[in-house]
Amino acid sequence: MNLDITENKIEVLANNVHFSYTTYVDGVNEEMKKAVDGMSLSLQKGSYTAILGPNGSGKSTFAKLIDILEVPEEGILEVFGYSTTDEEHFWDIRENCSYVFQNPDNQIVGTLVEEDVAFGPENLGVPTAELRKRVDEALAYVGLSEFAKKEAANLSGGQKQKLAIAGALAMKPQLLILDESTAMLDPNSRDEFLAIVEKMNKERGITVLTITHDMSEASRCDDVYVVKNGKIFMHGKPEEIFAQPEKIKEASLELPEDIELYTDLLDIMDEPVNSDNLVSQDVMINSFVDILKDKDLNKVYVPSKETEKNKLDSGVVLEVKDLSFRYEDKGKLILNNLNLKVNRGEVLAVVGKSGCGKTTLISHFNGIFRPQTGDVIFSSSDGNTYSTTNKKQILSLRQGIGLVFQYPEYQLFEDTVEKDIAYGIRKLGLTDEEKHARVLEAISLVGLSEDVLSSSPFELSGGQKRRVALAGVLVMKPEVLVLDEPASGLDPKGRRDMFALIKKLSDIGTTIILVSHNMDEAFRYADRICVVKNGTIEEIRTASALFMDKVRTKELNIALPHLVAFSDKLKNAVVNSIGDVDFEPTERYASLEAATILRSIKKSKEVNHAE
Amino acid sequence: MLNDISLGRYIDTGSVFHRMDPRVKLIVFLVYMVAVFSVSTVQGLVVIGVILLAQLILSKMTPKMIFSTLKPIIPITIFIVLLNLFTIKTGKEVWSWKFLTITEGGIHNAVFMGVRLIFLILITSVMLTLTTTPLKLSDALEKLMGPLKKIKVPVHEMAMMMSIALRFIPTLLDETDKIMKAQESRGADYDTGSIINRLKGYVTVLIPLFISSFKRAEELATAMDARCYRGGEGRTKLNPLIITKFDVIWGIILTLGATAIIVVNIVFK
Repeated sequence: MNLDITENKIEVLANNVHFSYTTYVDGVNEEMKKAVDGMSLSLQKGSYTAILGPNGSGKSTFAKLIDILEVPEEGILEVFGYSTTDEEHFWDIRENCSYVFQNPDNQIVGTLVEEDVAFGPENLGVPTAELRKRVDEALAYVGLSEFAKKEAANLSGGQKQKLAIAGALAMKPQLLILDESTAMLDPNSRDEFLAIVEKMNKERGITVLTITHDMSEASRCDDVYVVKNGKIFMHGKPEEIFAQPEKIKEASLELPEDIELYTDLLDIMDEPVNSDNLVSQDVMINSFVDILKDKDLNKVYVPSKETEKNKLDSGVVLEVKDLSFRYEDKGKLILNNLNLKVNRGEVLAVVGKSGCGKTTLISHFNGIFRPQTGDVIFSSSDGNTYSTTNKKQILSLRQGIGLVFQYPEYQLFEDTVEKDIAYGIRKLGLTDEEKHARVLEAISLVGLSEDVLSSSPFELSGGQKRRVALAGVLVMKPEVLVLDEPASGLDPKGRRDMFALIKKLSDIGTTIILVSHNMDEAFRYADRICVVKNGTIEEIRTASALFMDKVRTKELNIALPHLVAFSDKLKNAVVNSIGDVDFEPTERYASLEAATILRSIKKSKEVNHAE
Repeated sequence: MLNDISLGRYIDTGSVFHRMDPRVKLIVFLVYMVAVFSVSTVQGLVVIGVILLAQLILSKMTPKMIFSTLKPIIPITIFIVLLNLFTIKTGKEVWSWKFLTITEGGIHNAVFMGVRLIFLILITSVMLTLTTTPLKLSDALEKLMGPLKKIKVPVHEMAMMMSIALRFIPTLLDETDKIMKAQESRGADYDTGSIINRLKGYVTVLIPLFISSFKRAEELATAMDARCYRGGEGRTKLNPLIITKFDVIWGIILTLGATAIIVVNIVFK
């Protein structure tokens, strides 16, 4: 797989590396914060390695040390055989080491696509003729040739990250560092991006180091380091790491859903997990089927089915009628005669490709965009109805329908958290006490303590800021909460916490509309899924019914949730091996699904026996 | 709401002006500016008008595109014309009512100022804004001001800043739009109520915009470091500016035009 692995050459060697950041407490007093606390590791030439860890674990800081964007305060760090503190070889390291960062917008320097690709090699002083060759070749490699003369700012997020890769490739690097490069991409773009990176690794022998908190990304690597609190916590091949679910949890990470399902299945059957079987889905499935053949399921205790409580049908809270929208007079229709009814109390996931009109649609829900044709009607619980076509009703309507856009932490502006949260209710004619009470309620709802109320929102951590921004919408006590990618950029623990919060809101009766391109989360948390395509609703159905209908999902060209896809594959293998089994629909969680699968198998075996 | 603002206004029609080296255009532009301001005779104005018409045809711009560049300066042109008309009191009195008087000198000045202003905008559009990409313009400025490097003027850095600023305009407009929507959802108001109320609405946009711009700047600086940026020294260019025969010929033709204006003006003085 790796071209130079026979040479056994070490590309990066770290021995007990330390690094601290200077932070300012209360804006005045300096304080050193340890980010890298004695890390040791080695990367082989041509390898594909992941450093995994939650946000704030020091993994990105370590990557910066490799490219000498920071210098370690202690320990030895050698890159390409040179010490990073040796000034003589500074450029030898940096020129051969390329970086792709997380935010696509903040790493593009050139106005035109080709100018941006050329930026790196221009800095190296590569002659013009050679520059042209490198730029054209790099753009062709990532598939962006047709955009060479286009403005980089107009590319999509996925294209921008490909552009960043092209810029790296044009430098002819030995080592490519991806610092959470796929965190802001949708699943399709992520797969395309990783395919290019893996091609570079295999065809050109470029060593790849990826910094991520995504387990499924790590499973594609040869070697994985798990980092916790600035220290190496685990090290091994992906399957060796995945065989230790307890330790993974300890590092605030999550198993990929296929491995989780397999592990849970074996757990219930009381069989040990052999790490060798975790290398691929096929191996896992074969091993499961093998175990099943010899296993007496009558001796296995399978937990009984947990019944989900059905949500009462209590009418429509938000109705979109014949809505059409275009930006210019004769421009393309962004929304095309769209109709949608949202039930009170449900969790509705709105899914669709980038540019399908999702964001335009939700901007209509509270009258930020007014209907050009059609209507959006909100029926509040006190029996009033409000229409976004009526300008006088918009302010009241906005109290009832809260909208939280992507990365809401960027909308904070006041000097204290309390003032920022209270901004949305300033015009309601409440007394200061009433306002304070509402703020307290909102802040406890998002799980923050009252102590943060008097601090500046800008002193908080990223996750806390997002909660404050959410509180700023919840303070209006909306009956409908619209969330656009609420978990984007968060690590597994952050995502889990965010969805726990959303579930809590749903449990107290808030209707949730969730915009997401993550099918796993849509499947897990939503009651119904609504697929938007070319400005219309193509399909709206309960989550399990939609994903069980393989013909329709293929027609709609939507990805199956990982759990559903793997579970289907596994069920097929079981049927091929032991005969027909009457399987129930896939459950939302791997642990529940494992129990359900075994229950179904047990039941059909008993039936076969009786016959 | 921010879609109407287009700052780079570059329109590619593939004309002679698009193909010319931006440095030549910048120099010729300066020559024309001097010519337009030195003209004091009607005959001079007519010559400029004729030459400008020829240039507009050469640039292959439609009248609509040209008018759109003039539109924003119409109010200020009217203001300047009226100011000249009523404040300059030389020559014979033509018309008078209460404290308002119009004189021959006033009419003369008003016409000249108005026409000059319009000509100037048209020349700027044809030579620069409509036909030159921002990056080429900053490249040209860097090259032309190159000698200033000797007296320690950071010419390369200034050009780099200019091109990065231009590169980030669409990104920041996009972001402004997003923040405005988010604040509007929380009841911010930008276009109703008193001026103070509206300004307050904009504060909720500007502060987050500033903060995120600083973050962007920091990340961009790191990304530039990682891509081995180390100043202008030893940098090469993917598309270096090269002056060809084509540029020389058109440079001379255009300069001849400007000379004709000045000569006609002197002859009829």
